[in-house]
Amino acid sequence: MSIPVGHYQYDRIDRDFLQARIAEFEGQVNRRLDGTLSEDEFKPLRLMNGLYLQLHAYMLRVAIPYGILDSRQLRKLGEIARRYDRDYGHFTTRQNIQFNWIRLEDTPAILRELAEVDMHAIQTSGNCIRNVTADEYAGAAADELVDPRVHAEILRQWSTLHPEFTFLPRKFKIAISGSPNDRVAARFHDIGILARPGEAGAPVFRIFVGGGLGRTPVIGEELFDSVREEHLLATLEAILRVYNAHGRRDNIYKARIKILVQAIGVEAYREAVEAELAQMDLERYRLTPEAVAAIRARFAVPLLEAPADADAVLAQQRRDDPLFDRWVRSNTHVHRDPGHIIATISLKPGGGIPGDATSAQIARLADLADAYSFGEIRITHLQNVVLGHVRKDRLRDLWLGLAEVGLAEANIGLIGDIVACPGLDYCALANARSIPIAQKLGARFADTALQAEIGALRINISGCINACGHHHAGHIGLLGVDKRGEEFFQLTVGGRAENGAAIGTILGAALPEDETVDAIARLVDCYLGRRESGETFLDTLTRLGHEPFREAAYETV
Amino acid sequence: MKRPVRLEPGQKLVLTANRLLDGRTVWWGADGTWDSHIGRAAILDADEAEVALLRATEQAQRDGVVGVYDTAVQDVVPPEPVTVREKIRAHGPTVHPEFAVETEQ
Repeated sequence: MSIPVGHYQYDRIDRDFLQARIAEFEGQVNRRLDGTLSEDEFKPLRLMNGLYLQLHAYMLRVAIPYGILDSRQLRKLGEIARRYDRDYGHFTTRQNIQFNWIRLEDTPAILRELAEVDMHAIQTSGNCIRNVTADEYAGAAADELVDPRVHAEILRQWSTLHPEFTFLPRKFKIAISGSPNDRVAARFHDIGILARPGEAGAPVFRIFVGGGLGRTPVIGEELFDSVREEHLLATLEAILRVYNAHGRRDNIYKARIKILVQAIGVEAYREAVEAELAQMDLERYRLTPEAVAAIRARFAVPLLEAPADADAVLAQQRRDDPLFDRWVRSNTHVHRDPGHIIATISLKPGGGIPGDATSAQIARLADLADAYSFGEIRITHLQNVVLGHVRKDRLRDLWLGLAEVGLAEANIGLIGDIVACPGLDYCALANARSIPIAQKLGARFADTALQAEIGALRINISGCINACGHHHAGHIGLLGVDKRGEEFFQLTVGGRAENGAAIGTILGAALPEDETVDAIARLVDCYLGRRESGETFLDTLTRLGHEPFREAAYETV
Repeated sequence: MKRPVRLEPGQKLVLTANRLLDGRTVWWGADGTWDSHIGRAAILDADEAEVALLRATEQAQRDGVVGVYDTAVQDVVPPEPVTVREKIRAHGPTVHPEFAVETEQ
């Protein structure tokens, strides 16, 4: 079998481990079914294997390391959706996929099918280091300084079943990017890592710590500016050790690293990490150039060849077809190779469910990845799909293929590109439904010409304070709340996860569900009526302040 | 310990859980069996619910259910849950009408 483009190639040790783990879990499932294990005993075991019990069924969350799949893996996910679920999957804000209608007794068989394509559900739940996320344009974007995937894979191997970090005070999320344009929300992670070139070719890493969303949103603070590659693992180990030793375990709501960093201050945290590093055997944790090269060798590099006129062909096709041109404007990004382009495929059809894809769409995406992007697929933390290496002269053929399965929506980064958690329609933690309000907003702004006119505007919706929909980071954020059994939505404005990360400001009292869409439409009208030439929603908000938008949102006619 | 459900006038209680094998929402019937249709749930007053909850929790493993609790419903036929959460559990996700519990056999 050839080495996949874009992600690490498993070896026999990886595969043997997965089989052993599945056999172990199958035994646990059998003991649960025969009553040997109580639910209290079984719950932490199933969570360690990504299996939740939600409102209607079990939910299985499958890991997609740093968001990258090959086509055979994606095809397998589609098969699982068709055979074991209700013919669809839901891509999450952590670059994973969830299946909402799983039977407990089917789970070992599903895990075996996943293992056939080197996938699993380990560490997609529980108080451990979760799936490491990375820039969805990694290894492709023209603005990238360092391809973060090799180091993301090193972090995956370091954090998987790490004996010291299996029972942390709380879950722990790491993101890594190698671009000066933050596309991973680095400052909203427990640890955010930005790689850049250092001296002598090896990268150095800027490390932020203590960021997060949830009930206490915090922007991460810089812990170190320039960690050398050889000390990356030692530094992360030390950061985790300090958290593991001093993070609170008495109160689940105060157990994340952000609370510890806020409590003692980033200077004290840095001193504690440096003290830990001073007593560690650094040689044991040293990341050598040879070790990095060995991991890098297990990634295939795409052979980027394009005709000399690829750019001209694309330009002519854009002139000839305004609809295609609109899609190219919103759904593509500049590739490092002039003959190629990055295509982002929206999973946000107007009035649809953000992040959902049917098994037929998933299978077609796998076929299109084979045909147009070296069989490689990326899942974004904004619940979309990326084909990273599309030849410019073949982009229109891809777009036509996407249109055949309803995946040619031209709305990336626009108001229709809504991020939403599963909400109360599925989630046992939620207080309100996220998806219906997303569908109503998607339908209200379904016209892609209107979306283009509105410009960059991101809406994020969470069904509870746990903030899986990242509402604090939305340009407009919606938080669902329960008031005596009824759904209300609290509005925030001004959040952003990219460079200049900011937490949205609450506009006022929560609105009843049936008034929320109109309130947001008035916010948008306020912006369109008062913006100056070239301004985005955030630009206008920054210039005018919140008051005009608050008045618009709460205006009653 | 779970707080007792506060009942408004016209409300009663039903017992609910998830089925162990597939996680599906189920409701406790007067004959002591669990059913996925809330229309077959036993409607209980507070005293009856307390006794039934104790018994159903003790028998949960034998009955193949997990997470037994009581929840308020409007005392009508069929009973209708009071909260949005329990309405969704009773009838299925609002975003997929084709998955409505009522259409299942």
